[in-house]
Amino acid sequence: MPRYMVHRTFPDGLQIPVTEEGAAACLGVVGKNADVGVTWVHSYVSDDKQTTFCVYDGPDPEAIRRAAERTGLPVHQITKVSVLDPYFYR
Amino acid sequence: MDLLERERELELLDGWLGEAAAGQGRFVLVGGEAGVGKTTLVNRFCGMARGRARVLVGACDALSTPRPLGPLLDIAVSAGGDLDQLVSENAPRDRIFRAALSELDAGPTPTLAVIEDAHWADGATLDLLRFLGRRIGSVPALLVITYRDTEVGPQHPLRIVLGDLATSGTCRRLLVPPLSEPTVRALAAGSPIDASELYRITGGNAFYVTEVLASGTMGIPPTVRDAVLTHVARLTPAGRAALETAGVIGSTVDPWLLAAAVGPDVDAVDECLTAGLLRADGAVLAFRHELARAAVLDAVSPVRASALHRTVLEALRARVTHQNDPARLAHHAEAAAHRAAVLEYAPVAATRAAGLGAHREAAAQYARALRFATDLPDEQRQPLLTAQRLECHLTGQMEDAIAAGEALLAIARRAGDHPAEAEHQAWLAWMLVAAGRNVEAERASRAALDILAGIPPGPRHAFAFSVQAGLRMLNRDSDDAIAWGERAIALAERFGDAEVRVRAINTVGSARLVAGDEERGRAALERSLDLAREAGLEADVAAALSNLGSALGEIYQFPLAERYLTEGIAYAAERDLDRWHWYMVAWLALTRLFQGRWTEAASLAGSVIRHPGATAISRIMALVALGRVRARRGDPEVAAVLDDALALAAPTQTLQRLAPVRAARAEAAWLVGDQNRAREEARAAYDLAHRHGLRWHVGELAYWLWQTRDLVAPSPDAGGPFASQIGGDWAAAAAQWRELGCPYEAARALADGDEAAVRQALVEFDRLGARPAAAAAARRLRELGARGVPRGPRPSTRANPASLTTREVEVLALVAAGNTNAEVAARLFLSGKTVEHHVSAVLAKLGARSRREAVRTALERGLLPQTGGVQTPT
Repeated sequence: MPRYMVHRTFPDGLQIPVTEEGAAACLGVVGKNADVGVTWVHSYVSDDKQTTFCVYDGPDPEAIRRAAERTGLPVHQITKVSVLDPYFYR
Repeated sequence: MDLLERERELELLDGWLGEAAAGQGRFVLVGGEAGVGKTTLVNRFCGMARGRARVLVGACDALSTPRPLGPLLDIAVSAGGDLDQLVSENAPRDRIFRAALSELDAGPTPTLAVIEDAHWADGATLDLLRFLGRRIGSVPALLVITYRDTEVGPQHPLRIVLGDLATSGTCRRLLVPPLSEPTVRALAAGSPIDASELYRITGGNAFYVTEVLASGTMGIPPTVRDAVLTHVARLTPAGRAALETAGVIGSTVDPWLLAAAVGPDVDAVDECLTAGLLRADGAVLAFRHELARAAVLDAVSPVRASALHRTVLEALRARVTHQNDPARLAHHAEAAAHRAAVLEYAPVAATRAAGLGAHREAAAQYARALRFATDLPDEQRQPLLTAQRLECHLTGQMEDAIAAGEALLAIARRAGDHPAEAEHQAWLAWMLVAAGRNVEAERASRAALDILAGIPPGPRHAFAFSVQAGLRMLNRDSDDAIAWGERAIALAERFGDAEVRVRAINTVGSARLVAGDEERGRAALERSLDLAREAGLEADVAAALSNLGSALGEIYQFPLAERYLTEGIAYAAERDLDRWHWYMVAWLALTRLFQGRWTEAASLAGSVIRHPGATAISRIMALVALGRVRARRGDPEVAAVLDDALALAAPTQTLQRLAPVRAARAEAAWLVGDQNRAREEARAAYDLAHRHGLRWHVGELAYWLWQTRDLVAPSPDAGGPFASQIGGDWAAAAAQWRELGCPYEAARALADGDEAAVRQALVEFDRLGARPAAAAAARRLRELGARGVPRGPRPSTRANPASLTTREVEVLALVAAGNTNAEVAARLFLSGKTVEHHVSAVLAKLGARSRREAVRTALERGLLPQTGGVQTPT
C-alpha cells in the first residue's frame, strides 16, 4: 500500500492533552481512518504545534482526504513518499 | 463425512438466513479451492434450514460450453409453477429473470436458493446472478453462490460480476478454509494411516482426506487424482466401465441414460454406489465430487472416450424427452467427432443460448459447428458465419467477429454478389473501429461505398451509409457525418429499417452537438431517443442518453449534460446495460470536475477505474477526471493516471479521446510549473483539433499554448470563454465561466486580472482546495505589490474547527447571502432534499438552532469566505 506524508497546519496550535481525553481523541482518529481503509502510522509535530507531518498508509490520495474529512483534520498538502534509510548503503 | 469444524460458517449462514427472513435479502459468496468442502457445508446448511425455508438448488456444469441458465433449469424443475412453465417454453429472458426473482419471494417462509460452481457459469447465468444480486435486498431470500476462488482470475467473467455485487450492502462473503490438523486426526482415528502425514500431503483438503481414507490404501497417494484412481482400481472391469460412462455423461447422471449406455449389467452401477464413488442424489446419480469425475475421465484414453461419447449420444437420441438439451447433445457429438450430429445440434443450441442472452455460449456453439463445416458448400456456411459474427460482436470478441466477417466477404466475392460484398465490408468497418483498428475500418467502409455507388439504392445502402456516418462522427468530421447520416436516414425510412434509422439519427444529432449546433443536435438525439423507446430498442435508448450527456459535456453544457447522464445511468443500471452505464458514470465524473465538485468527481471516476468490466473509452474519460482532480488539488499520483489515459487513447488516434487527455496533461504540467511540457502536450493535439474545427477542444488547447507563450493571437476557432481570455478580456471570461457553472475556470480567469480580481480568485481557489492555483495567485498578488498576502497555507485551508465540508460551506455561504433552500438548490444543481440535508448538517455542527444563528456563528468564527462566494468583478 502506498505511503503518504500529510502536511497539516493548525493556526491555533494542535492541543492533544496527555490524558484519557487525548488518548480517546487519537483512538477516534484511528477508528474513523479504518472505516475508509487508511492507517495513521505516526506524526511529527513542530515545536509551535502549528504544523504536523503525518505519515499515512492508504490506497490513494482520495482515501487520505476522505479520512481527513471524517476526522475534521485539515489537509494542506499530500505527498507520496517512500523510505530512504541512511544505513541501507553500508 | 461428519461435518467437523464448520460451526462458525454454519452460524454465519444461519444469521444471514435470519436477516433474509426479516425481509433483508442477502447473497453469500462461498469461495474455496476444489474439494475443500463447500458443497458439503452448503448441503448441511440446507438440511438445517428445511422446514424454516424453501430450499432450491441448482448447479453450473463443467461442459466446455455450458447449458445456458443450467442452474435455473434445475431450480425450475423443483420450484414448478410459472418459472418452470416459462423456462420450458423458452420465454424471453427478462420474463424468466423476473419470474426467478418472484420465485424467491413466493412462499410463506423465506427462500434459500443455492447456485453451485459459479466459476463454470454461462453468460446468461452470470447475468441472472447480477440481476438477482442487485435486487435481492428487499426480498426475503438468501442466495448462496459457491465457486472455486482459485479458478477465478482477474479476467474471469465471474470476477466482474462479483466485483459488481461485492460493493452492495447485501453481499456477504464466506471463505471455506481447509481442515485443520486436529480435525484430520479425528477423521483418521482408527485407520492405519499416519495422520500427520495425511494432513501434510492433503493440506487439509476435505475431499482428498476422505478419498484417501475411503480407498483403504496403506500409503498416501501423492495427489488427489492418484487417491481417486487407487479407489477406482478396486472396482471390477465392469464397474470401472460403468464409472467411466458416468463420467462421460456429466456431473449428474440420469439412471436410465447410464443403464442405456452401459447395457444390461445393472450390478456394475450398484458396485460404484457401494464403493462410494457414485452417490444417489434424489432421482439422479452423481459423482461424490467433480474432482473424482475429472480424475476418472483423465485416465480414459482418447479413443475410448470418443467411443463412450458416441454411445451416450446414441442413447440420448434414441429417447426423445423435453430434457434433451441441444447443448448437451452438441457436447457429446463433438467429443464423439460425429460431424452430422454436431451440425444438427450445435446451431440449435446456439439459437437457444442467444435467445437467453448467453451470447458467449452462442458464439462458442457456432464456432463448434463451423469447425465441422469446413467442407460444406458456401450457402450452408454462410448462415453460421453470419450468426457467429453477430454473437462475437455482441460479446466483444472482435477478432473472431472480424474473422467471420472476412470469411463472409470471401463467400460473397466467390459468388460475385456485389451488394452482399458491400454489406460485409460495412460490417467489417464497424467491427474494426470497435477493435481500435481505425485505418483498416476506413478502408473497409470506403470499399463498401465504392461498390454501392454502382448499384441502385437499397436497404444495404442505408446500413453502409450509417456506418460511414458513424466513422465520421467518431472522428469528429462533423459535416461529413451529418451528410452521410442524412442519406442513411432517408433510405432507412424508405426501406423501413427502424434500427438503422434510430442509429443514423443518433449519429447526426451527436455530430451536430459536438460541432456546437446545440439546438438541432439535441432535437435529433431526442428524436432518436423517442423512436428507440417506441421500438423497444433498449441499447439505443441508452446510447441516445449517453451521447446526449457526453456531447453536451464536450461543449461545456454541464447542467444539461448532468440531466441526461443521471437519467441514463439509472436507465442502464436497471437493465444491466453496463457498457453504456460506465461510460455515462465517467462523463458524470467529468461533469462534477468542471462543476467544482471534486470529491464526487474523484469517487465516480474511481468506481469506473476499479471496475474490471469498464471499456477502454470509459476508462480513458474516468482517468482524465481523476487526473485533473488530483492535479488541481496538488495531490500526488497524477502522472500515473494520465499516463494510463494516454496509453489507452493513443491507439484510437481520434480527437475525441486525444484532446481531453492532452489537455489534462497540459494542465497538470502547467500546475507543477513545467511550461515546456505543458506546451508540448497542448501541441500534440492542437493541430488535429484545429483541422476538425471543434471550438471547445481548440479553445482549451489554444489556452494552454497561450499560457505557455506559444500562441499570441487568439485562434478564430477557440470556444467562448477561452477566446475571451486569450483575447485579454479576463472579466468577460470569468463571467462566461460563471454562467456555465464552472467555478474553477472562473477563478482561473480572475487570476489573470487586477489585484481585486486576483484576491477573489484566491478566495475561490482556497474554497475549492486548489492548492497549486492558490499558491500561484498568491505569488501574483505579491508581484502586484499587494499587502497582507500570507505565505503558506491561508485561513480557509486551515483547521476548520466545526469541520464543515467544502460543500456545506458553499451551501452556508448562499444561505448567508439570503437565498432560500430552493434557490440554493437551483444555484448548485442539487435537489431540494439534498440542500435540506446539508443545512441540517451545518446546524448540527455549529450547534445552531436556526439558519440565522448558523450564519451568525459562522461569520463570527470566520468559517465563510469574506466575499460570500465569487462575485462579478465590477
